[in-house]
Amino acid sequence: MKKYLNFKLLFSFLAIGFIACDDNLDVEPEQNLSPEVATESPANIKTILNNIYGEARQGVSYGGGIGMAAELLANAGDLSWNGTFVQPGEYNEKALLADNSFVRDIWLNAYEINNQANIVLENLDVFDDEDDRATTEGEAKFLRGLAYFDLVRLFAKPYVAGQANTQLAVPIILDAVLDASVITYPARNTVDEVYALVINDLTDAYEMLPESNGYFADKYTAQALLARVYLQRGEFAKARDAANDVIENSGAELAASFADAFNNNENSSEDLLAMQVTSQDASGNSWNLYWAGRDFGGRVGNPDVSILEPHYAKYDDENDDRANFFYTTSRGVATTKWQYQFGNIPVIRLAEMYLIRAEANERLGTEVGATPLEDINMLRARANASLYTSVNLETILMERQRELAFEGFALFDAKRLGRNIGDISFNDDRLVLPIPLREMDANPNLVQNPGY
Amino acid sequence: MKIKNYFLLGLFFISTIVMAQERQVTGTLTDSDGLPLIGVNIIIENTSRGTQSDFDGNYSIMASQGEVLVYSFVGFSTVRRTVGTESTINVQLLPDETLDEVIVVGYGTQSKRKVTDNIASISSDQINNIPVSNMQSSLVGKAAGVQITQINGKVEGGVKMRIRGIASISSSQEPLYVIDGMPLINDDESTTVAPINPLISLNPNDIESIEILKDASSAAIYGARGTNGVVLITTKSGRAGKTKVSVNTSTGWSRATNKLEWLNAEEYIELFTEASTNSYGAEDTWLTEEGGYFDFMANGLDWRNGAVDTDWQDYALVDGAVQDHTVSISGGDAKTLFFLSGGYNRTEAIVRGNDLERYSIRTNIDHNVSDKFKVGFNAGASKTQISRIGTDNSFSTPLQAVAQSPLSPAFLENGIPNNDSTIYYNFLMQAYNGDWDADIFRVLLNSYLQYQILPSLSFRTELGYDNNNQTEEYFSGSLTQSASTNGYADANAVQSDKYNISNYFNYNTTFNQDFDLDVVVGMNFEESARKNQFVAGTGFPSDDLQTVASASEITSGTSTRTKYNFLSYFGRATFSLYDKYLFKGSLRYDGSSRFGADNRYGFFPAASAGWIISEEDFLKDSGTLSLLKLRGSWGETGNAGIGNFASLGLFGGRAYNQRSALAPVQLANPELKWEKTQQVDIGLDFGFLNNRISGEVDYYIKKTNDLLLNQPIPGTSGFTSITRNVGSLTNRGFEFVLNTRNVSTEDFTWNTNFNLSTLDNEVTSLPGGDIVQGLNIVREGETISSFYIVEYAGVDPANGNALFYRNTLNADGTRDRTTTSSYGQAERVIMGSPYPELMAGFTNNLTFMNFDLSFTFQGEWGASLYNSGGKFQSGNARYEDNQTRDQLNRWQNPGDITNVPQARMYQTNGQQDSSRYLEESDFIRLRNLTFGYTLPLSVTERFKVDRLRVYFTGVNLLTFTDYSGYDPESTYDDLGNSNIQRGITFYSAPPAKTFTIGLNIEL
Repeated sequence: MKKYLNFKLLFSFLAIGFIACDDNLDVEPEQNLSPEVATESPANIKTILNNIYGEARQGVSYGGGIGMAAELLANAGDLSWNGTFVQPGEYNEKALLADNSFVRDIWLNAYEINNQANIVLENLDVFDDEDDRATTEGEAKFLRGLAYFDLVRLFAKPYVAGQANTQLAVPIILDAVLDASVITYPARNTVDEVYALVINDLTDAYEMLPESNGYFADKYTAQALLARVYLQRGEFAKARDAANDVIENSGAELAASFADAFNNNENSSEDLLAMQVTSQDASGNSWNLYWAGRDFGGRVGNPDVSILEPHYAKYDDENDDRANFFYTTSRGVATTKWQYQFGNIPVIRLAEMYLIRAEANERLGTEVGATPLEDINMLRARANASLYTSVNLETILMERQRELAFEGFALFDAKRLGRNIGDISFNDDRLVLPIPLREMDANPNLVQNPGY
Repeated sequence: MKIKNYFLLGLFFISTIVMAQERQVTGTLTDSDGLPLIGVNIIIENTSRGTQSDFDGNYSIMASQGEVLVYSFVGFSTVRRTVGTESTINVQLLPDETLDEVIVVGYGTQSKRKVTDNIASISSDQINNIPVSNMQSSLVGKAAGVQITQINGKVEGGVKMRIRGIASISSSQEPLYVIDGMPLINDDESTTVAPINPLISLNPNDIESIEILKDASSAAIYGARGTNGVVLITTKSGRAGKTKVSVNTSTGWSRATNKLEWLNAEEYIELFTEASTNSYGAEDTWLTEEGGYFDFMANGLDWRNGAVDTDWQDYALVDGAVQDHTVSISGGDAKTLFFLSGGYNRTEAIVRGNDLERYSIRTNIDHNVSDKFKVGFNAGASKTQISRIGTDNSFSTPLQAVAQSPLSPAFLENGIPNNDSTIYYNFLMQAYNGDWDADIFRVLLNSYLQYQILPSLSFRTELGYDNNNQTEEYFSGSLTQSASTNGYADANAVQSDKYNISNYFNYNTTFNQDFDLDVVVGMNFEESARKNQFVAGTGFPSDDLQTVASASEITSGTSTRTKYNFLSYFGRATFSLYDKYLFKGSLRYDGSSRFGADNRYGFFPAASAGWIISEEDFLKDSGTLSLLKLRGSWGETGNAGIGNFASLGLFGGRAYNQRSALAPVQLANPELKWEKTQQVDIGLDFGFLNNRISGEVDYYIKKTNDLLLNQPIPGTSGFTSITRNVGSLTNRGFEFVLNTRNVSTEDFTWNTNFNLSTLDNEVTSLPGGDIVQGLNIVREGETISSFYIVEYAGVDPANGNALFYRNTLNADGTRDRTTTSSYGQAERVIMGSPYPELMAGFTNNLTFMNFDLSFTFQGEWGASLYNSGGKFQSGNARYEDNQTRDQLNRWQNPGDITNVPQARMYQTNGQQDSSRYLEESDFIRLRNLTFGYTLPLSVTERFKVDRLRVYFTGVNLLTFTDYSGYDPESTYDDLGNSNIQRGITFYSAPPAKTFTIGLNIEL
């Protein structure tokens, strides 16, 4: 009898053990949503859209990575690279290797932006509110256009105005990738194809976006970027008109002083697009990391990118605020533009629009909006520099360098103006980024840029 | 799970009946040394009457003439005595020599003689007294086919144990660790990429034995987690008899196994002045001029007259110290056995600022409630405190100080670390103005109930619980790299716990002596949960306020929860025929929450057979051959070491400007399934001359299919990789073990163990093509993680340019062996692998009179190591970093023949990643050596001490290698958790060479 009882106990216990646990194999993630849930509501889609700005803010691209590539590649003596990282050193030496991880990250980040924009664009039917939908679509297209514009400028030979640009650019991917079955192995599209997409996306964005949209892209952000795109392509009339539209209609105004345009917690009055940085994402600000002194959050190079003597010669008035927008550290001179670790990062400032309008008007002999002299003096007055009595293309371009120094324009201006960098021709292979090695390894359909 | 039900079993009550008796018989029971034996069972044959010996070995029992007294005691031969007319029967019990060595296998034990699997068994006396702070390092060189490497010289550093090669590319390569039947939590919880060894919290002195299940047949009982081998750890338990107190105490010091030679101030000035001249011309005196760069470095000191010559390496690599104290008390009687221990370990690393302190206790109790019903409870708890230092890739890590210029003083005149004039952040500031501690609290509980339902059938239930609670607190003050935010602090807490329930029946029967059958059938459920909280803040009112509580701004915070489960059923049958034909089969059915619903379960079968040829009639009487056993096994194991939700498409929460954001973080792959490994093992066990010479020879082939692979995908998809079941790889190898008793006399014994193993790893299929990560490649037909780099061709004697072999493929399949100074024109080729092809261990144990000596040599051959820091350390003065002295041998004049290119400051000349920095890392090491002296019993008896031994132990005393870097085993801890990027070193500290003196006392 006792033995029987023991058995019964044992087996009932075992049965509990065997059965009770079966359901426990269903474990749901607690930090993640499934793609179905993530794309099911307008609120969620807008949250994904918000993340695209976050991707763009990453240090590797609009947080400073792209700007540093453009400045160091175009450096012919204005800058010295003091940092310990090899990758920016390769930019500076114009001796890039295909495995440069900074280059890789620019590429990967651009396509993250692209894919997330595509996810948003493919799920617009969840919106009921038409305005909401249009704004969301416009922002996604703006961000996609922005990413492709920098990809085509960095990874392809320069655009040559007035002819077919069939040189290879980067692959265009317009389908969202959310599961393994839709991964593709694309070949590179041409420069013309990529620019067509950029202009198309930005034009759509201009049509769809509202007049103002907080610190997110609005109608005039798209127009301002279009002005930059047209200028890069040498389409001066379009560039002029777009810049003029922004100046006259966006409501943006030059900040009261030159210093006010930088190191801000909130966007300045002249920011048309700025990456938002808070103390919670210090790593988002690579501009600060590489360009500021150690005491301001910069790396050990103190600063990693130091400003050298030849640069100061560009200023023609010692009272020009811009000529004094530097500070010295124990190992060099840093620009004050990126001094504040948690400051927002201007990507498009109104000042650039004045420079585009001035340059285009000058080239075309027009005075749309204002004369080139008025536009240039507007900037000079703001910077407390002596005013000009006349300007020509050369002085306008010089003013552009003074105003936009260390903001990531140098390489792209050199390429569109056909200006050599030291003894390296503006269209030299070395000034085109390599297709990242990991990408070449993963995708057999890609062709490497010449020279790598 | 209703755990309460366990306790119902505790209600079992088995009565014993004591019958009447006739006459009192008394006596004393002793062992061969004449010491009393306590708790010996004495029963009268064919009755239920019995008793036990008391603390003095005395017993008394009522028995009638003619009855037979049976004296039995664990580990001793049973003795029978017929009661005659005498009233006193004294018996000396002798150790049971016929007892087969028993080894632990999954869910049970087995006689070693009958084992048909390949299992390496390591006993406590082989690992105790080795002064290493982690259990794994004490096993180095002791088992064939097992590679154990601590990442580098940091005390808490992760340890890699690779059993029979690398069986997976993207999922876990770590074996399953099981302690007393409980699978251990083995997750690295370090807040940085540099791993913390999760098993650092175990006291190696508490371990009785370690069994390493190497072949599939033995490991398949652990099914989905058996592929990388299984390490079964058995903790010590008490022995019936006199209560034994043992004390092991040791103390010693340590230093780096190796230091490198760096330029002194004079040489630094010479080389860099030349490098600058080569780049900018002699007229540019920016380094040497008044107020120039050297003046900056020297910070006001007169470097021109030798006023400063800092040896930064000496600040980084310092003398370490070790202390280890363990006290244990064990004993018991026939009903209850117990083992209690308390341990303390303090290890100060040879790298400045890094140390570890561990307090541990353990209580193991086994109790026979009745002769059928047994319960046991093992509990271990420990607290480990670690002072951490930066990862190898941080300026705050000590060894990066070797990059500093010898012209920069280490400290300012006011005694504060010099951060004003060093090239890089001065790591000394971190200790001065920062703090980083990790605390690990670990609790391991195992309990079991075992009930003998029938003489041949038993049931056992085990409940195990493992809790790993780890916190890390970091502070860097206003003088450190966190100066811009006026200090930074963070705190991270992880609570991992796991419970494990196993229920199984064991049926064991013998039919007429010839046929032995042993069957185990059971189930297992395991749930692992992990929680993590992190908070960080900046802006501190004072450097003395170092917790986040004082931060003016909270800059980061997170908390996460996750868990995974395993539900498994298993069965195993072992039978032997005539004690010479052995068969075993097992099956495990595993389900895991980690896999997609369609592929959640996997079957893992295994079978093995053995033939003890020496038992056959034609060999049985052979005087020379004492054992010859042929065995073969086959089995299938799995690997589930992937992310908890690897098959799902996932979006994760982010933020942009403090507004919530959602990011796609993982692509869906519902087809994801188990990675399976099939392994075949053929082995021969032999013994000659009464086993004076014995050993094993094994050959195995281990094939893994459906690899769980993080396959790189084009980044144009928005993602960089996806986990897929693609590809296969094979490990094959030969293992040879030889044990000899060279001399065996009363005063002098000498035993030798030698093991040797080969490993041949080959990726046999990789449908997605090459996977290149950094300098390592996974390519079909090659060893996993082979180095894939440009081949360095030395220096052009004409102009001092670095040259590289082009190595482009010619039309005929050969490679273009012409050289180029243009790095971009040289193609990467496969050059060696980070894994050894041959490993050997050689251990000798000698005793002479009261002296004992043991030592282990261990060697590895065939691996290479790449120094990623080479471009900075040995880069012919390209950067400002101090250089290894061999760089003085640079090219200077046309016609110079050297391997070091011309020094050109800030101009690349040979510093690119190439085979210039790749070296073979073969080595032989005197891994440990112990020399002891045991005081004669006649002396120690006077102090009531059974045994008193003093000993010296050394670890890593000698290293023989041609490798020119810090150490052939030290690797880059930033890649400590990378499966593919192996064999890379980067300012990685060498291991410690340790010398200790210790004392064993047994009371």
